[in-house]
Amino acid sequence: MTDALGRIWAIALNTFREAARIRVLYGLVVLVVGANLMAVVLGEMSVREEARVAQDIGVAATSLFGSLTAIFLGVFLLYTEIQRRTIHAIVSKPIERWEFVVGKYLGMAMVPTALVGMFALAMVVTLTWRGAPVTPAIAKALMLAWFEVLTVAAIAIFFSSFSSPFLSGIFALAMWVIGRLTPDIEAATQTAAPAIKWTAKIALEIVPDLHLFAVSGGQVDGAQVTVHDGFVSWSYVGLASAHAAGWIAALLAIACVLFRRRDFV
Amino acid sequence: MADAAIEVRDLRKTYRTPFRRRRVEALRGVTFRVEVGHIFGFVGPNGAGKTTTIRTLMGLIRPSGGSARILGHDIPSRQARARLGFLPESPYFYDYLTIGELLDLAGRLFNLPGPLRKKRAEELIERVGLGRARTQSLKKFSKGMLQRAGLAQALMNDPELVVLDEPMSGLDPIGRKEVRDLILELRERGKTVFFSTHILSDVEAVADQVAIVARGQLQAQGTPAELVGRVLRGVDVLVRIADSVATDELTDGATRVRRVGSELSLTLAADVDVDAWLARAHGAGAKVVSVSPRHDTLEDLFLRETAAADASVAATEGRT
Repeated sequence: MTDALGRIWAIALNTFREAARIRVLYGLVVLVVGANLMAVVLGEMSVREEARVAQDIGVAATSLFGSLTAIFLGVFLLYTEIQRRTIHAIVSKPIERWEFVVGKYLGMAMVPTALVGMFALAMVVTLTWRGAPVTPAIAKALMLAWFEVLTVAAIAIFFSSFSSPFLSGIFALAMWVIGRLTPDIEAATQTAAPAIKWTAKIALEIVPDLHLFAVSGGQVDGAQVTVHDGFVSWSYVGLASAHAAGWIAALLAIACVLFRRRDFV
Repeated sequence: MADAAIEVRDLRKTYRTPFRRRRVEALRGVTFRVEVGHIFGFVGPNGAGKTTTIRTLMGLIRPSGGSARILGHDIPSRQARARLGFLPESPYFYDYLTIGELLDLAGRLFNLPGPLRKKRAEELIERVGLGRARTQSLKKFSKGMLQRAGLAQALMNDPELVVLDEPMSGLDPIGRKEVRDLILELRERGKTVFFSTHILSDVEAVADQVAIVARGQLQAQGTPAELVGRVLRGVDVLVRIADSVATDELTDGATRVRRVGSELSLTLAADVDVDAWLARAHGAGAKVVSVSPRHDTLEDLFLRETAAADASVAATEGRT
């Protein structure tokens, strides 16, 4: 087992090194700064709501840009390995294909994780600068955003194990949107025809409920929750992490099975 | 019988084209055996099935039929891959790495401990002549340098079996000579080397065993001497003879005749009695300079077997 972990770590480290070289990601760092500057500007335009605006924009930007980064990296990393044939010199070594997929996922997930970290840091700096407290609710919201990003990364890797980057990108993006709109789709199809209602129900069953990770401003168990006041409990965060872990494990398991059957010609 | 380094039986691979789902038979039942400690040359024209065979053995492609064992393990086998080194055709590596980082990655995948990884990497960088390029990223490497880097990563685990897909490709004559020397050195150290190529002189120079593959089928297998020395194609003779002497009597039974001044060069047919011919030549006052039997070259055999495979496939396709 230690040997397998060593090989997975080698792939993860190399993948992180590869992903960190993609120049588009430096644009995302600019977005981190831009989002926080926008939070400051919008805060100035509001009346005594500077901290609230900074928190809302910070959490939303973490979730949005983190997820988009995960999709962008996830759909390309496996594909380019096969396309450029770099995989030939790797899977001919004593590494199992599932170890390769898991290593790629871990290495790739390090990049949006670093991005979430940067967003969190920028948000703390902004809030401190505005004289607003950094509350446990913000920490919980950022952790939930991180779980969402990790789940989206697994979705992207899953699609890229059998599809082209273009299609994988579309599928992953569609899953992200559907997953985010789970309660809205449920509500909208409540009074629809049975066929539509069942189709929506099935669709929502096979898509991770990503709305669980972005609950600020919505309702949990009938109660209004917001990052500014009365946010979710730590046990909710724990359950959400288990939900994310379950989906990540399932998606990676299917990706590993599909990848195992592929020919590298 | 002791385990062979590689044992392939009736290996088959059929692809389906993406849209029309047409069947393409890349391998049509390839069978061969590579003995431990031998250098095995796998020869064939482009598209013959060499690379498909190698990729199947390396676990990159799943066979459609047949079986193969490497170092006593059925493919695909992680245990076998731990004991072999592989150089892919036209190798592609992560171009942002340096040669040292590439070898470190390879060493990690073989679970080599850190100090050993470092020691092996240093030795191999020098061995393949990349010492002066150790700080450059692979992106800046020429094709020949990448080939050397590929050889180095294939040897990181000090493998028992080395599988090289077109190892001389992209190398200049010096580089090719160095690779040939490396292959011979590996055999000296008791390793088994399996390499594919379409450069016949490279095979003749180093291989103990040769297999010719064409159209996805094995056409011939044996030692180079067995393969090319089986049939006498004629006898080349060079004699000196006075200009005034008529050569009609001597050219009888020759398949090729060339006279330049006093030198008469000819090829006698394989069924000609050479001793009787030489006696006639002496009788005519000719001075024999050289007599050498003409056997098939590997190139002759290669061309013949390839043409036969093409004809066989064309006939089969014509019937279906």
